[in-house]
Amino acid sequence: MKKVLAIALVLVVLSATLVACGPTSSGKTEIVFYHTMGQNLRDVLDRYIVEFEKLYPQYDIQHKQVGGYEDVRDQVNSEIIAGKQPNIAYCYPDHVALYNIAGAVQTLDEYINSTEVVERSDGATEIVGLTDEQKADFIEGYYQEGAQFGDGKMYSMPFSKSTEVLYYNKTYFEENKLTVPTTWDEMEEVCAKIKEIENAKGNTDIIPLGYDSEDNWFITMCEQLNSGYTQVDKENTSNQFIFNNDANKEFVKKFSDWYAKGYVTTKALNGNAYTSDLFTKGKSMMCIGSSAGASNQIPDPVGGKYPFEADITSIPQIDPENPKVISQGPSVTILKNANKDEVLGSWLFVKFLTTNAAFQADFSIASGYVPVIKSTMEDPAFAEHLSGANGHEGLVALSSLVCMEQESAYYASPAFYGSSFARDEVGLLMQKCLVECSQNLDNLDAFLDQVFEAAVQNCIQAIS
Amino acid sequence: MVESKQHWKAWLYLSPAIILLLVFTVYPIVNTLYMAFANGYGMMSAAGGQKFEFGIENFKKVLEWGGFLTAMKNTLLLCILTVPISTILALLIAVILNSIGPLRRVLQTIYFLPYVTNSIAIGMVFAAMFNITGSFIGTENEIVYTSGIINNIIEFFGGTKVNWINPGSSYWANIFVLVIYIVWNALPFKILILLGGLQSVNKQYYDAAKIDGTGKFRTLTRITVPLLSPLIAYIVITGFIGGFKEYSNVVGIFGESMGPAADPGRLNTMVGYIYDNVAGKLPNNQGKAAAAALILFVIILAVTLINLWVSKKKVHY
Amino acid sequence: MAKEITVKQTNIGMLASRQKFWGVVSMTLRYVFLILVAVTVLFPFYWMIISSLKTLDEYRSAVPTFWPQTLDFKNYAEAFEVANLGRLFFNTVYVGVVSTILSIVVTILSAFAFARLEFKGKNVLFAGLLATMMIPGELFTITNYITVAKLEWLNTYIVLIVPFLVSVFYIYLLRQSFLQIPNELYLAAKVDGTSDLKYLIKVMIPLALPTIISITILKMMGAWNSYMWPRLVANDEAHTLITYGLRNAFTDASGEVDYPVQMAAVALVSIPLFLVFIFFRKYIMKGVSRSGIKG
Repeated sequence: MKKVLAIALVLVVLSATLVACGPTSSGKTEIVFYHTMGQNLRDVLDRYIVEFEKLYPQYDIQHKQVGGYEDVRDQVNSEIIAGKQPNIAYCYPDHVALYNIAGAVQTLDEYINSTEVVERSDGATEIVGLTDEQKADFIEGYYQEGAQFGDGKMYSMPFSKSTEVLYYNKTYFEENKLTVPTTWDEMEEVCAKIKEIENAKGNTDIIPLGYDSEDNWFITMCEQLNSGYTQVDKENTSNQFIFNNDANKEFVKKFSDWYAKGYVTTKALNGNAYTSDLFTKGKSMMCIGSSAGASNQIPDPVGGKYPFEADITSIPQIDPENPKVISQGPSVTILKNANKDEVLGSWLFVKFLTTNAAFQADFSIASGYVPVIKSTMEDPAFAEHLSGANGHEGLVALSSLVCMEQESAYYASPAFYGSSFARDEVGLLMQKCLVECSQNLDNLDAFLDQVFEAAVQNCIQAIS
Repeated sequence: MVESKQHWKAWLYLSPAIILLLVFTVYPIVNTLYMAFANGYGMMSAAGGQKFEFGIENFKKVLEWGGFLTAMKNTLLLCILTVPISTILALLIAVILNSIGPLRRVLQTIYFLPYVTNSIAIGMVFAAMFNITGSFIGTENEIVYTSGIINNIIEFFGGTKVNWINPGSSYWANIFVLVIYIVWNALPFKILILLGGLQSVNKQYYDAAKIDGTGKFRTLTRITVPLLSPLIAYIVITGFIGGFKEYSNVVGIFGESMGPAADPGRLNTMVGYIYDNVAGKLPNNQGKAAAAALILFVIILAVTLINLWVSKKKVHY
Repeated sequence: MAKEITVKQTNIGMLASRQKFWGVVSMTLRYVFLILVAVTVLFPFYWMIISSLKTLDEYRSAVPTFWPQTLDFKNYAEAFEVANLGRLFFNTVYVGVVSTILSIVVTILSAFAFARLEFKGKNVLFAGLLATMMIPGELFTITNYITVAKLEWLNTYIVLIVPFLVSVFYIYLLRQSFLQIPNELYLAAKVDGTSDLKYLIKVMIPLALPTIISITILKMMGAWNSYMWPRLVANDEAHTLITYGLRNAFTDASGEVDYPVQMAAVALVSIPLFLVFIFFRKYIMKGVSRSGIKG
């Protein structure tokens, strides 16, 4: 019976040691990559890892799916604290800003601009950095996202992108002779018409427009109006949140009026269910959501027939001549490491994936995300994929096409520690105002002043 | 010899507990004090090698700024409402339950049932009962599928439906739902304790009261309550301690947004505030979390001491 | 009980029928009150079950039905899938069983040392342990989060088992039970040359079994109901525990929500607790009345 005691003690001690499972040593330099890819995307990645390791046999790429984006952030975070971070991680700009508090992010400029020559196993050589053609090949707005940290340095490379697009019920629009809105004013008219048509039919539960992301909505409006959202100010961090201004209050007021009229709902106000649910059920006629979610916007066929045909276009603009659409989706960042060889290998791998049209094409086809380099359009596989972009079974391809066509419209917001908090706050502000403005019509301006001021204060308090 | 062998053995037996307690209980106490007084402490900053000055910056920020004060206000309000209501209700139920014959065991078991539930899970049931399924609630264009069973009952008795927890609901409607749920959840423990107390009360007191012709209400206030006062003090103290640590009941009803969708965070509690600053979106705020935790500790300590002091004067042993 | 006797006494005594009438009225009112309370207590469970059996259309109908028109068990299958309940059940049971076993072993050893062995500093140490019970758990959580992050324990089973393995309260509870066992037994065993461990296993554990069972149940229920720590430290799919998994699968509770499925998931999570309650009512109620902590 002494065994029981012994076992108990051993278990307690064991549990402490069990966790640390050492890496395999093969004489190669091991490079660890954290991402959020599901199985089908990991298959694509694996194929290209084989290719990369053929060219650079001295490297051994290990990769791991760590849940969703926030899981990657939390995992990398805690590993930075333990001093055991991976080499490469999927990232959003504010994750990079966070890692950088611990000084853990490798700036890429010295690699991007390096003209040092490396030899590959196929006998060819290449420079470590990017050639001018390679730089020019990136979609500008995507590439610039890596340099949004206030010091002009590159902290991340775009990996695979998405944006917001407007899905609409083509069948319904044609039947009712509606034109697809390209500006917010037109959007308002269309919503009013749809409400009128449906109310006349006694269908009072129709919501013309669903907008999935409140925070994207707010930020995109700031960008379209050029009215100010955030800026980087390392001296005075309180000065970074500039979204409390009259132009922003104006559009919030307008949209809250839309809400009160039953024109629009958002994901949070829809019981946290994506508004594509409403769209595919025919309860909404339009839906603004992620371009990567195109497959969710296709209605379920009833008896082998689709109840309606969905189509896709750019989101409405303030000024269609100078369009602005958000750039989202993963970038990759390289984390500092004492072993310079690991950093170099990480960079070569990142460069290999992000400048490789074939990989970008395969990845885009498998994921619904948009390639980050323009030359992908010339890739035969991608061209074939895009040729299927008609009818709504081709909605996914169509979404890629729409995204590639609006290539000059992408913007990325500045990133700093607290920028994710600003994003949360404006999203919450949007939710609150949509619902509560109509309850405060008597003193609407005072109400808006107070809500905007509180949101800015919350941001400031969160970071100091 | 035997003695020294016992020493050795005792420490061996205690070693697993002591090692774990040192790492996960004692060290955290020391470290929390350190973090709370290290200005602007954050684990990412610490990992980056930043040095922190000592001072009371964290406490000042926590107390001067909105987030924690809102949380404190909510927590206090819920405590002040739920502890007396549930205590009085539990006392009433226990006394009446104790006065009946048949069905007592069955009812006692039923009353205990909420205790063995998962407060997050059943919170979701309460949310379903109070929720209006639909959109644009409260506007002219509202779309309502079902008003929820509570509103159905209100409408059945001729009332109009209330927006309890949906976007656009009022703060007090939210608080009302929370109070109902928290009281529902808190009753079983209190009834159990009080009933146990009542059953051990000497019946002679009541016989004497009967002979004196004391009325029922007088018997309750003059005999039952004083006799139960140590137990009442106990459930009030544990009620307050639990109340100040309120968190999961709010999560149960509103989810982690801690408020209706139009105003998340409106119903945040002190514990919720602490967790907000431990990890997640703001993983560099542990100094503030530690300061808030210490404030919570001091409040709980103070309330406990006040309760003990009051009950020393009032409790009839 | 007391009232029963008084009623009888009145019967025996001279008593007017008026008084008897009021006695009946008052007894009726008491039952009405108690039954109303019982209905209030039970209603959410009833509503959970019937909602989980309704179709979405029936649930959303403006006039509520108090019994489903057709029993729709599909919701349960869907709930299992949407919330990934199978995995959550497995994780929770695994963590619950392992942490309970380890916790009981550690608790027994410590309680035995405090109850039966003599060593320097025993009382100081015990008082010190009791003092830590005063401190709210949230205070430990902050540092423990950093500690487990540094140990790279995040998203493992270990992080769910080890940090809160030792409960001072359980040690205290068991020590009290052990102390009630007469010391003479121990001394007699010593004379017989029985080892401490053998004595502990053969005599003390069987005698303190009710307390150990109470602790076991409370600890298991604790694993089932724990929310915050698992949410902080193990929120990946492979290690999520049931309560967080449930809440996370259905993030919102107001507006346009598919309640039948949500209620089915809630019911599935609640049923094991009810079963435990039915079988171990006595231990649970006894344990709770002494502990005053939920779960």
